[in-house]
Amino acid sequence: MSGEQLIERTLALCHLAKAERLAVTPAKVLDVLRALPAIDYLNAEDYRLAVRMNLASSADEERRFDRLFREFFYGESDERHFHSRIRGESMQGSMGHHYREINQEITTAADSYSADEVTCGLDLQSRWDPAAPPLDQLIRELAKHLATRRSRRLQRAKHGAKVDLRRSVRGNIRYGMDLVDLARVERRTRKTRLVMLCDVSGSMDAFNPFLLRLMFGLQQALKNSRTLVFSTHVTEITSLLRRRSVVETLSEVGETVRHWSGGTNIGGALATLNRGVLREGSAGSTVAIIISDGYDNGETRLIELEMQALQRQVRTVVWINPMYGASTFQVRASGMKAALPYIDHFLPAFDVQSLRILVRDLAKI
Amino acid sequence: MTQFALLSTVEKIQQQFAADNYIADRALALSLKLAMDLEKPLLLEGEAGVGKTEVAKVLAKVLDTPLIRLQCYEGLDANTALYEWNYARQILHIRINEHDHQSRAALEKSIFSDEFLMNRPLLAAIRHPGPRPAVLLIDEVDRADEEFEAFLLEILSDFQITIPELGPFVAIHRPLVLLTSNRTRELNDALKRRCLYLWLDYPSPEREREIIRRRIPGIEAKLAATITQTMQTLREIDFHKRPGIAETLDWSRALFGLGITEITPEALLDTAGVVLKHRDDIERLRAIGPAQILADVTDEPRVSRSV
Repeated sequence: MSGEQLIERTLALCHLAKAERLAVTPAKVLDVLRALPAIDYLNAEDYRLAVRMNLASSADEERRFDRLFREFFYGESDERHFHSRIRGESMQGSMGHHYREINQEITTAADSYSADEVTCGLDLQSRWDPAAPPLDQLIRELAKHLATRRSRRLQRAKHGAKVDLRRSVRGNIRYGMDLVDLARVERRTRKTRLVMLCDVSGSMDAFNPFLLRLMFGLQQALKNSRTLVFSTHVTEITSLLRRRSVVETLSEVGETVRHWSGGTNIGGALATLNRGVLREGSAGSTVAIIISDGYDNGETRLIELEMQALQRQVRTVVWINPMYGASTFQVRASGMKAALPYIDHFLPAFDVQSLRILVRDLAKI
Repeated sequence: MTQFALLSTVEKIQQQFAADNYIADRALALSLKLAMDLEKPLLLEGEAGVGKTEVAKVLAKVLDTPLIRLQCYEGLDANTALYEWNYARQILHIRINEHDHQSRAALEKSIFSDEFLMNRPLLAAIRHPGPRPAVLLIDEVDRADEEFEAFLLEILSDFQITIPELGPFVAIHRPLVLLTSNRTRELNDALKRRCLYLWLDYPSPEREREIIRRRIPGIEAKLAATITQTMQTLREIDFHKRPGIAETLDWSRALFGLGITEITPEALLDTAGVVLKHRDDIERLRAIGPAQILADVTDEPRVSRSV
């Protein structure tokens, strides 16, 4: 292979990687080319590793790159993920083309479909009341009480508890180093990560308008929170809720969450949470909010085990039960009974009014 | 190209590392070579206990250069990572010289001099006089907060800092930078973009056996083989914390120290605490049954299991 051919092939590979949504920047491409003289590029293995080290930046991206590499050089195809359109073009070596923008596809969309799931293409817009006032203020309040903690980082403060030696010394040079004015610091307040697990099974249908509003509001207000909905299955809808337009979001959520208004499997949902989202981030600083009535047709023992595991992992477990508000409320649902010992805050909320009361009560704690 | 004749090819790197009892696979050796040639930081990610930190230690040892380690933690700030003035000494110095009637400028000059400067890891790496560059290990960078990451970016791109009282410092020899992360959170894209990336996986059975053999001389080959197979089986079970190489070595040492030559179900259960560090995980092991796991090991080394 001539030098020119090598560069051409490498550039084509970079283009492909970019199409596969790896973060390929011009600087990285240059680094790839700079790396080539340092390695034995006739050795396919070394060549693959060297390009990969520059382009990929997570284990998942490494896997995606490897697949792409195989397809590019050996023509093995993997139909599920690969855009044959792109491959067709790049294999012909049309290098002069500009990078093609691939529409961002949401990969969290349910690629699973099972017969026991109920509705398909649910119309959530009928469950959304556009006239209702936004929850922004309330959610900010709620977040203040549930989702902040003291950081270990310090910030300047007039009456802080600790003395900032560096600033004190600097500030007192003019007094001949007699420490006259002490500069002080205090610990910063910092947001924690919220993970919300929201029950959208049939028994929760009545509360849908409120739930949607709460999920949308929380996700918009706290950018690093994650939202999952569950009934018989679990689907993460974080990326869908990040959009500005409510109408678009609702139709996409309806399209994606095929198990809306289905049965309930709280234990299974908790298991997914424990092994999935919580493994990815620092669980120790996470607040888990579960919104459910606790009616469950799964195994109660599983709920207990998973709640135990959840409580041990996260900072705080909050359970919001819409049924709790009623005066006749008793913990009758067996799932609820099993979960109760592991909950830090058990709270009622079923509409905006009750949420307001809840926030007010929280302030008193 | 490479300033290190000892490590000029991938094979040489593997040899040198093996001489120090670190079995590096080709990907790791190549990534180190590129990191040296391109002078780019290398970001190593992987589960806890797969030997990320060890890479830096061995690299420093092979190159016979100091290992400068910056352990990241939440709340780590620029002062702790870069430099700090020794305030207590400064104040003492002023008190002692109080009656010397030094001019204020002279006094200030004397207390803000090298003598009162405490070098923290990043500055130490920049000021390292050579002859070879230091190895700078920024360990568990995911534990530091995002502000610190942004600050790190700046340092890693120029290796130059300015201390207001002393002036600028530029690295004479760019340090070899290794960053490690356990993925407790996603790192900043900008930081990742500047680094070469490698995911360190659990080792293959052959490599793991070789590691045991080298690290614990005198261990029986048969025992080492059983340990490796058991570990491979254990890693396929959905534990909260899957055991890494560190656990393999601890377990091997424990068994070797106890004089156990054959792993019985009882022995596995008795020493489970060395391998599994979670109460739930040990319960799980008990539920599956150690006999079952060992049976899988002897029949067939790799059994897929989803419990």
